[in-house]
Amino acid sequence: MGASKGGTRLSGMQKQVLSMYRGFLRAARSKSLEHRRQIESVVSAEFRRNSKQVDRKNFIYIEYLLHRGKKQLDQLNSPDTVGLSSLNVEGN
Amino acid sequence: MALRAAVLRHIRVPVQTLGLKSNPRAPSGSIRLMSSHDDHLSKEEVADRVLSVVKSFPKVDPSRVTPEVHFQKDLGLDSLDSVEIVMALEEEFKLEIPDKEADKIDSCNLAIEYIHNHPLAS
Amino acid sequence: MATGLLMRGAISTAKISPLASRFIPSRLQATAAAAVAEPVEQPTSTTKPKDLKTFQIYRWNPDNPTKPQLRNYEIDLNSCGPMVLDALIKIKNEIDPTLTFRRSCREGICGSCAMNIDGCNGLACLTKIDKSGPPSMINPLPHMFVIKDLVVDMTNFYNQYKSIEPWLKRKNPPPVKGKEIPQTKKDRAKLDGMYECILCACCSTSCPSYWWNPESYLGPAALLHANRWIMDSRDEYTKERLDAVNDEFKLYRCHTILNCARACPKGLNPGKQIQNIKKLELS
Repeated sequence: MGASKGGTRLSGMQKQVLSMYRGFLRAARSKSLEHRRQIESVVSAEFRRNSKQVDRKNFIYIEYLLHRGKKQLDQLNSPDTVGLSSLNVEGN
Repeated sequence: MALRAAVLRHIRVPVQTLGLKSNPRAPSGSIRLMSSHDDHLSKEEVADRVLSVVKSFPKVDPSRVTPEVHFQKDLGLDSLDSVEIVMALEEEFKLEIPDKEADKIDSCNLAIEYIHNHPLAS
Repeated sequence: MATGLLMRGAISTAKISPLASRFIPSRLQATAAAAVAEPVEQPTSTTKPKDLKTFQIYRWNPDNPTKPQLRNYEIDLNSCGPMVLDALIKIKNEIDPTLTFRRSCREGICGSCAMNIDGCNGLACLTKIDKSGPPSMINPLPHMFVIKDLVVDMTNFYNQYKSIEPWLKRKNPPPVKGKEIPQTKKDRAKLDGMYECILCACCSTSCPSYWWNPESYLGPAALLHANRWIMDSRDEYTKERLDAVNDEFKLYRCHTILNCARACPKGLNPGKQIQNIKKLELS
């Protein structure tokens, strides 16, 4: 593959994030259609929210999120896990 | 799905037989089988199907989609959208694109090129 | 270095008390209790002058992910128990309830409160407060993912422990059906120095080799347990166990640096147990 024409170069950490996003979307494929849509919407909302809110230089926090995401992805990949839901805690 | 792709990747059967067995829903599948004797999808067909996947992406204005179009620069998408598009292409062509390659696909052109050169695209 | 020596002293004296209290209840326990009682029972508002001590504690909260920082807390040692854990609990109770750390048994048997205190890994409940020295610095276990403040992610560590299959594995049924498998005193003694491990991770997280290869190298704690089952006379999978760890990374990343033995709050020597595995691999 040729170089992306002058496009932005992705940092290693960005690649990790995108790879994890891919991982979640792949995991979603293995679930029932209803749950798949649900997972996709939760996951996509979470990644988008963080892509806007997290300071791109806050490596410690991004590393923390990657680490936490990895554990969640492992759980989601288990055949025993059928779906995913999110809980919104307001306040503080 | 993943398992299937993994199995497919190891069993190198001619794409023609694959086309017969799987993928009855691909719109142009039957036409291709009757009209073409080579192992690959034709480039035109790949291009058509790539463009239609990109056009059907919710955030994309279909009128702006051309084979030359760059996802982020021309369509105003972000890297997460690019991931979603490449994943949608994976499903359309029954492929699994490894991360290293997927990161590079940032335009319709590169997508068409990659899929056209992929021996298992169907 | 001075602090290091002092700390080792503190650890070894403190180590006696929980064991002693079980087997020789009367005398030793009484002295230990007296030592503890004196500072604890002093009410805060006595005429006794305050004995102030500063603790610098690592703080990081993922819900407000600014840069990690060392925050200072000053407490009066005259109204505090003798151990670092007492100080942490006092700080949490009286100064800052958001301070987060793991603790449970407060007597060195659960392994929850492992952390880095003045540069040495140890259990907060078995480490005496250094009364005279400069401010004490308390950090999470080194090279571990921090979940919050002093709480680190132990998943990888536990998975490595799991990977050595830490249970009795047999090919034959027990000599008497449905009964335990007997063991001579001599065979039982072979497990001394290993069965005492409480998996606090002080050793593994003090090992430079483990820092560089935290996933591929099993680390001193898991290897000590591997040896514990290899040496168990009742276990019949000795060869399989030896084969399982006979790996350039899993086992042979140990370069006998022996930080593990220095760090172990239970006074064990994981490095020695690893040596034993290496020796058996050759025979």
